[in-house]
Amino acid sequence: MTYLTPGDSAKRLKRIVAVILVLAVVFAIRLIDLQIIQANAINEKSYEKRAVTRVIPALRGQIIDANGKVLAKTVFRYDVNAAPSKVAPMSRTVSGAKVLVSVEELASEIAGILDLGTAEVIQKITGTGEYSRIKKRVNASAYKKLRDLNIPWLSYDAVAERIYPNGAVAGNLLGFITQSGLMEGLEQLYDKCLAGAPGEETYEKGVDGIKIPSSVITTKISVPGKNIRLTIDSDLQYFTQQILASTVSYLRADWASAVIIETKTGRILAAAEAPSVDPNDPGKLSADDRRARVFQSAFEPGSTLKTVTAATVVDTGLGSPNSQAVANYSFLIPNSDGYKVTDSHFHPTEYLTLTGVLAESSNTGILDIGKVVDYKTRYKYLEKFGLGSKTAIAFPGEGSGQLNALKDWDGVKKYVSMFGQGISVTPIQSAMMYQTFGNGGVRLEPVLVDGCEENIENFKIPQTKNGVQVISKESNDQVLAMMERVVESGAIGKYGAIPGYRIGAKTGTAEIRDPNTGKYAGPYAISYFGVAPIEDPQYVVAVTAYKSRTVGSSLGVAGPFKKIMQQVLRTYRVSPSNTKTSDLPLSWK
Amino acid sequence: MSIARLPTLSNAPSHSRLLAKGRAAPRLKSVSLAASNSRRPGMVIVGLLTMGALSIAMLNLVLHILTSTSVYELAAIQQDKRELAMTTQILAEEVDSLASQQNLSNSAQQLGMIANANPVFLSIAEQKVYGKPKAALNTDGRVARNLIPNSVMAQTSTNLKTTVASLPLGQSESGNVANQKTNRGQVISNGDAIPASPTH
Repeated sequence: MTYLTPGDSAKRLKRIVAVILVLAVVFAIRLIDLQIIQANAINEKSYEKRAVTRVIPALRGQIIDANGKVLAKTVFRYDVNAAPSKVAPMSRTVSGAKVLVSVEELASEIAGILDLGTAEVIQKITGTGEYSRIKKRVNASAYKKLRDLNIPWLSYDAVAERIYPNGAVAGNLLGFITQSGLMEGLEQLYDKCLAGAPGEETYEKGVDGIKIPSSVITTKISVPGKNIRLTIDSDLQYFTQQILASTVSYLRADWASAVIIETKTGRILAAAEAPSVDPNDPGKLSADDRRARVFQSAFEPGSTLKTVTAATVVDTGLGSPNSQAVANYSFLIPNSDGYKVTDSHFHPTEYLTLTGVLAESSNTGILDIGKVVDYKTRYKYLEKFGLGSKTAIAFPGEGSGQLNALKDWDGVKKYVSMFGQGISVTPIQSAMMYQTFGNGGVRLEPVLVDGCEENIENFKIPQTKNGVQVISKESNDQVLAMMERVVESGAIGKYGAIPGYRIGAKTGTAEIRDPNTGKYAGPYAISYFGVAPIEDPQYVVAVTAYKSRTVGSSLGVAGPFKKIMQQVLRTYRVSPSNTKTSDLPLSWK
Repeated sequence: MSIARLPTLSNAPSHSRLLAKGRAAPRLKSVSLAASNSRRPGMVIVGLLTMGALSIAMLNLVLHILTSTSVYELAAIQQDKRELAMTTQILAEEVDSLASQQNLSNSAQQLGMIANANPVFLSIAEQKVYGKPKAALNTDGRVARNLIPNSVMAQTSTNLKTTVASLPLGQSESGNVANQKTNRGQVISNGDAIPASPTH
């Protein structure tokens, strides 16, 4: 059998092969173009269409107190939203039977959980829109209850929120974070440690917008923030804040502060003030009361600085606790156009020792004795006591107090600085001034934070750094002996005495300079700074109330000092003293 | 090219006959007429390939099913984890509230607790008592009403029984704790050690 085909079959075959080859070449070129030349661009385009990149927020670290109690942590809160256009009754199975629940009933259930009015909820879920926020930042407990209602037209957005479980306890130190990210206090100072680093993940979504489980690629791992531990004992801080809150109320003062320092380490055990901000709700207080006054507010120390003047006299060898002063009611400052300094109350001439000058808190007495040390030397001592310089803590907004340059000291300031006028200090500076007396004359830098650790088990108490030997140990012992006499025999000092314990302290009633007139007047800044126990000082308590309106002397803070110091001694199990008290004479005639 | 020009197989001398005549090897070899025989190995390969493809598809399906099950399991476990994390958070917040100084202070006050400002220390080594024991006074030693705000304190202690000591001062003679006579039995230590304070 033969098959007859038209034309030359060989030629035809060649043509077909040629066409196929041409097509193949065209396809190959296009393939190379798509697969190699344009591959990346096309891949990117396609990936962009289906890939979603999400930032994985880093959980902010905790702030804990010296005993591990959590003072700040991050939790999840939930914004509750509704889709008004989809609001409808829903059916629910109750005891095996299907029941239709009306929108009003559902609104009432929602209102009950969210602590809102039913009418308010109904108003928020009524409309044609796709989105309406019912309540922001609902806690997990309410969210869970709400979610268990299975209402299809409700949706929730999880939001990380900073909470402070103990409210205003140490709120002044912790600071806060606003929703816009504004920070204050330790939150700001240790933000780098606490914040961590947010991560990033990319996943592909299907046509319905749902994440394809196996497509998640974590491009950047989220690193949670580390934790910081404070030196603060939150129970002691709370107790101190309680005392200060009632003190401010009783004295009708602008504010009050109390700082408790462990003298041998410089650790701040409490740095309280009133009013004090609740960082969970900082908007409740004025901007002024939201601050950490302990670090930021300066006031003239008044008579509490007489201890420093007395220490200078003793340490320079130009006097002793028994140095004799003739304390008249007034003292005329030489070369000052008749500037007179008087004592707080009229008295005939007194013949006081330096110890008596401190016990009686005599202005004229301290001028009479203090003038033996030239003002340049006294200035150097003030600097060594830490005045005019910020502490090493570098708290946000920390003040350095005011210690004008020596060249600016006029004739009057050279004298009045001896009893704390013309100089200002922050509460932390004043507490560290007395820490020096509690540590053998060595001033340390205050410590507020033990460090930044990933694991809270790893916190260790850092080694105490070397301090500044401000006065010699021998001089310091004499200063302590004088301070003890202030508590034993001082007219106001004795109100801070604690039965069974040897306490050393100094009172201060400082007039406040009117910035407009430049004149000094009341109400006063009243202080009571003390060290205990004198035989082996362990703790300093420095209490100040600013603009006391009901009590015009340091008597107003002697009681609060006593209560706080008693609590300190009880908290740290300091047993009562069993050594003899100082018997330095107060007068010499 | 024409098929008609080729010699047909039927015209060719038979293979056995050629061999019998002792001629040299023929230029043309006989080809089996059974065309189906030549296709058999191809069919086997096709069959094998089909079976292989089917097996791979089946394996793929099984793997997919397994993976999908695991994905569901994973999703369920992750959901459990989220639920547990939420429960932990809820409980932690409750504990935080109850353990806050504000709640403890309020509870202590409600229970009529009084802080004794005059602690006494026993030195076991020296067998001495340090400090002068004094009764806790129901005056300024009383735990003060909480004055420190805490807006996240959602939970407060309940079932606190009001005691005689928590009554206002002077309400009754028995209101003074110092005058209270208790009928408590002997306190028996349940261990060898004296209970230590949690602070020091």
